[in-house]
Amino acid sequence: MNRMKETAGSCAPEIERPTLEADIACVGFGPAMGGFLTTLNRAWMANPADPMFESKVAAGLPLQVLCYERADDIAAGVSGVVTAAQGIRGSFPDLNLADISMAAPVTSERILYLLDPIGASRRPLTLRIADRVLRALNGTLGVRDHAYELPWSPRFLHKTGGLVMSIGQFNQWVGTQIMASGLVQIWPGMPVSQPLFAQNFERTGDQVVGIRLTDQGVEKNGEPGAAYVAGIDVRARLTVIGDGPFGSVGRAIDQRMGMPSGHDKREWALGMKFVIELPEETALKAGTVWHTFGYPEPAIFGFLYVHPERLASVGIFVPSWLGDPSRTVYRYLQHYIQHPALWRHLRDGKLRSWGAKSLDESGQHGEPFLVGDGYARIGEGSGSTNMLAGSGVDEAWTTGVQLAEAVLELLRNQRSFTQENLAAIYEARRRASWVEQNARNAINARNGFHLGFVPGIIGMAIAGMTGGTISLGANIPPAHKQIKKKQGKSKDDLTRAEVAKLVVDDGRPLHDAMMSARGWPEIVFDGKLLVSQQDALMLGGKVQAMPGFADHLVFRDAGLCIQCDEKTCIAMCSGQALTSGSGDIPVFEREKCVHCGACIWNCTQITGEGLTNIEFRAGVGGLHSAEN
Amino acid sequence: MMPEAILVLTHTDEAGSSLTKSSLETVTAGKTLADRLETPLVIGILATDSNAAAKSLPGLNARILGVSGEAFEKPQYAADVAACEALCNAAQATVILAPQSSRMARVAAGLAHRISGSIDTHITSIQGDEAIEVTRWLYRQRIEATITRSVRPWILLIEGGVCAAYEGHEGEGELEQVAVELPELRTNVIGTRAPAHSGQTIRPDAKMLFVAGAGWTKKQADGQVHAGEAGELILSFLQKTSASLGSSKSLVDQGGDGQPVLPFLSHMNQVGQTGATPRHPKGLATCCHGEEPHVVGWRFITERRAISLDPNCGWARGKADVVYIADAFKVIAKVNELLALKA
Amino acid sequence: MSLHIVVCAGIVPDPLQTLEPIAGPNGPALKNEMMLPAVLDPWAASALYEAATLVSKFPGSRLWLVSLGPKAKLQQVMMTIAQKVTFELVAVDSASNGFADASATASALASGIAAIPDLDRTKLLLFGGWESASRGAGVTLQTVGELLGITDQFAGVDQIDMREDGSFEVLERVEGGKHQASVCAGAPAVLGWATGNLPEPHNNPQIGMANMRTVMPALQRAKQAALTNDGQQYLSASLPSQQRQTRVVRDLAPDAIAQELVEWIRTQ
Repeated sequence: MNRMKETAGSCAPEIERPTLEADIACVGFGPAMGGFLTTLNRAWMANPADPMFESKVAAGLPLQVLCYERADDIAAGVSGVVTAAQGIRGSFPDLNLADISMAAPVTSERILYLLDPIGASRRPLTLRIADRVLRALNGTLGVRDHAYELPWSPRFLHKTGGLVMSIGQFNQWVGTQIMASGLVQIWPGMPVSQPLFAQNFERTGDQVVGIRLTDQGVEKNGEPGAAYVAGIDVRARLTVIGDGPFGSVGRAIDQRMGMPSGHDKREWALGMKFVIELPEETALKAGTVWHTFGYPEPAIFGFLYVHPERLASVGIFVPSWLGDPSRTVYRYLQHYIQHPALWRHLRDGKLRSWGAKSLDESGQHGEPFLVGDGYARIGEGSGSTNMLAGSGVDEAWTTGVQLAEAVLELLRNQRSFTQENLAAIYEARRRASWVEQNARNAINARNGFHLGFVPGIIGMAIAGMTGGTISLGANIPPAHKQIKKKQGKSKDDLTRAEVAKLVVDDGRPLHDAMMSARGWPEIVFDGKLLVSQQDALMLGGKVQAMPGFADHLVFRDAGLCIQCDEKTCIAMCSGQALTSGSGDIPVFEREKCVHCGACIWNCTQITGEGLTNIEFRAGVGGLHSAEN
Repeated sequence: MMPEAILVLTHTDEAGSSLTKSSLETVTAGKTLADRLETPLVIGILATDSNAAAKSLPGLNARILGVSGEAFEKPQYAADVAACEALCNAAQATVILAPQSSRMARVAAGLAHRISGSIDTHITSIQGDEAIEVTRWLYRQRIEATITRSVRPWILLIEGGVCAAYEGHEGEGELEQVAVELPELRTNVIGTRAPAHSGQTIRPDAKMLFVAGAGWTKKQADGQVHAGEAGELILSFLQKTSASLGSSKSLVDQGGDGQPVLPFLSHMNQVGQTGATPRHPKGLATCCHGEEPHVVGWRFITERRAISLDPNCGWARGKADVVYIADAFKVIAKVNELLALKA
Repeated sequence: MSLHIVVCAGIVPDPLQTLEPIAGPNGPALKNEMMLPAVLDPWAASALYEAATLVSKFPGSRLWLVSLGPKAKLQQVMMTIAQKVTFELVAVDSASNGFADASATASALASGIAAIPDLDRTKLLLFGGWESASRGAGVTLQTVGELLGITDQFAGVDQIDMREDGSFEVLERVEGGKHQASVCAGAPAVLGWATGNLPEPHNNPQIGMANMRTVMPALQRAKQAALTNDGQQYLSASLPSQQRQTRVVRDLAPDAIAQELVEWIRTQ
């Protein structure tokens, strides 16, 4: 037992907690951690007798490497992905794709500009003029099915030699191999509540000395119940943080250590996708990749990736810079798949599963300190995603590999995991790599979107074609300020009143009624592809919400919720886990929460401490769906 | 192909005097099969007094074997499996039918092992022109399969309710007593127990199944939970209709750490993916979403109605015959009122 | 008094996954079977938790978990289960699923149990689920019991109360939502569990780490077992098409709905 002298968090009670000693504690199992653990494990397997692999905390045993993952299964990752796979192929030069379910080599890439066949999307004048021209060209010059296919795709988007994958299946494949050796233990269903900080005696500031696992046997409000078990403290020489874009450990470190000057996570998107079984006679071949833009709103980008065995991932990204407070995703996705260019291929298909996740689109603007005493950051939460190429998995994987190589070098040279040592090897290695180079090229590529859709596209093209040398400057406001609280358009003023009536009469969500009032046709459910959001939640998986854990979503100040008009958290909640409650405070049902994290950046209310009013703590479970 | 010989294993009810309904249903299944295959039928009876039990089978043109004795008063593995083995040896049948009762389910696989036979359980139909083909469900009633086997003897446990119970007329068959060599019995059955809470809510012979979903204990329109009122409404409905009570898993699990929110519910009430699949002529679902995992437990419910607040719930899309979009609290309160008036 | 409890527990697809039968080379199989997340069979999991509780009450007792399934899937499921209760794993590597024959599965399990060193059969309580969530036949455990020569068997068990003299009282589910109560003189016995009375244990990383000392080696030495089909032949395996023509009643007042329902309830 250990009475922590260190501080573990603001509200944690000072109680006796059991303690585990580890050499390396890892938070989150995704592509970045996959890269880290694969590389570390391989080096150990090649020479397990090497003294560098002796544990410093368990005499006579090999390194104690423990990885904790919130989800109930390592296959529960949510993302259909196309990746250039430069780093992944580097780790697996003899990769046999047949070993990974749903993986296929990229065979063709198209970029489609989608016109609006309905007339409900909000397009700027310039776009409406361009649309008119394109409509006039229907049937010629690549215009077909209300879509214009770009004659060429810019190089920065190319995924030639890349892979179409399911991240759930890829994680499963990677994790199974890692665990089979016995060196690494990956524990699912075990959220990490916070990092353990300790005073750093050699310099000012803190060091990270491990992690605290989440308390169990507690009520939903966090009060200890009859079966209370205090979360264990795992003390480790090195803590590796790969808990994604909004992981509780990563955010706690950002809060404690601060961010590098000028860095902040301000740009986000919510990605949502369907996995669709294509009709038997489909013309779409495995490895087909489509990128789309222009519809259902100009700001919403979309994709279609074709996996083997007639499965396709089809989805959209709703970005933070789409300032509409009633922005939503599920309904937009249903309109998206019905666009004639996609519907032609999807119409007779069948929805197999569904998933959603937030993407940190800040790129290097949101990069935290990559290393500190006792810890290192990898993956999406470390700002590795390249928003110009729309690529994150391969970059995340590679940062994990780079950290593992650095850790091996430090072990070999019997050097400790200090900030200097980690910076000199891991950070330096990362800075010198293609990950850094591409991230630098991309750093300002999306700035233009804060000026409007057309400047955004132009800015992205310029940045892409000049390797980031030229890009548009922009003042990017914090995510909550990107939500336009007052809608100036008369159409919206009008619709809000109409919609309020609809909401009362029909009991449906405000954002849904808003879309109908703006001219989006009602979705006609067919029970096959078009199903209610609640049905989608149950398709091809389910939401896991184990009892005995506290609710992971907390409203810090109920008064702020009451005064909030927008309630964008409800509109953007992927699983309808947040709904309108009595007294204007949203109701949270964790049985529906897929842990997409959208509520964090869709909360418009800021507390006196400068925090968004929604606190998203470490929570167990989430969407349990393999075909994702 | 070798001609088949059919044996139907039966047993008495708790009172010990007559054969159970499921036994009589299995007799019908056996008779139908024997008639179709034009092969003799043998009935085996497991009872304290199998002579008395044989009176449940008037007019059946079959050889009737029986084992008798105090050891067979209560179901118990060692005695029952020995008795069934003795009956099988005496009958020398190739196909052995038995009811899917708790008593037979406890011993049938052990019996199959002892007579070097094979076994299939939860049989919902027996078909086939020449060969015997049986259907059963796998993966908790989600996949229906038709199976045949070459190995004999072949034991088949027949689900309750798939055949009508045998009803004969005049004439009594003669029963041949079969001797059973019992092993040392190390288990003593001391009785049956009903659940402690609020009487019996699971009624397999009820005309109706009433399923309560998690919505009963969620916040209602006034922002409050009304679990007490929900409990009263449900129990009152059950009392007035003699319906059997089922529940969704989420409602049973809701209390967390094993303690249900509605105290009269237990995991035994659970219907669906990880619960029971009862057989009733009618079913009424309330406050549950009607998703596939719930509905697999309704596989054998003939007429289905549901009350739901969600017009897009699973019930509305081909899972139920009628869905009422309404507040179940209000509807069931009125139903109870009307039932009380008309009673 | 000490007990040697062996829990037989298979793995099944997570219950809420979409299942679809396809024709495989050896009969029906599930589409994308290896992709589906797997869980420990729910009723067998109840047996495991009950067993762990019993073992903790009687010092000197031991608990083995015998599990048959594809090795990679077993490994994944064990990472969850190993955090919950302490056990020693015996893994049997086999491409088993709900379509496999129960008696062949039973033979493979019985061989695995017979080979456990230090297992004292006079102390043996053989636990498992009364049925699986895949085949759902209720055949495997009984057959294993017979193969091991155990003649006291119980099915649909919800409770066991061990007494100091080694005898125990057991409650089995019988018709009508009732339990049959029996007293057994003691081990060896077979108990096929229903849900029992225990909640799922919390995940405990320390238990997990302790289990890992045996789990990974057990998986590494898991023997392959080919399952025969005992003359069983599947003529078809299909999803039901029970789509009903649903009448959705939207605009009726609760009183009118109640009236309609009462009439329906009263019709024969």
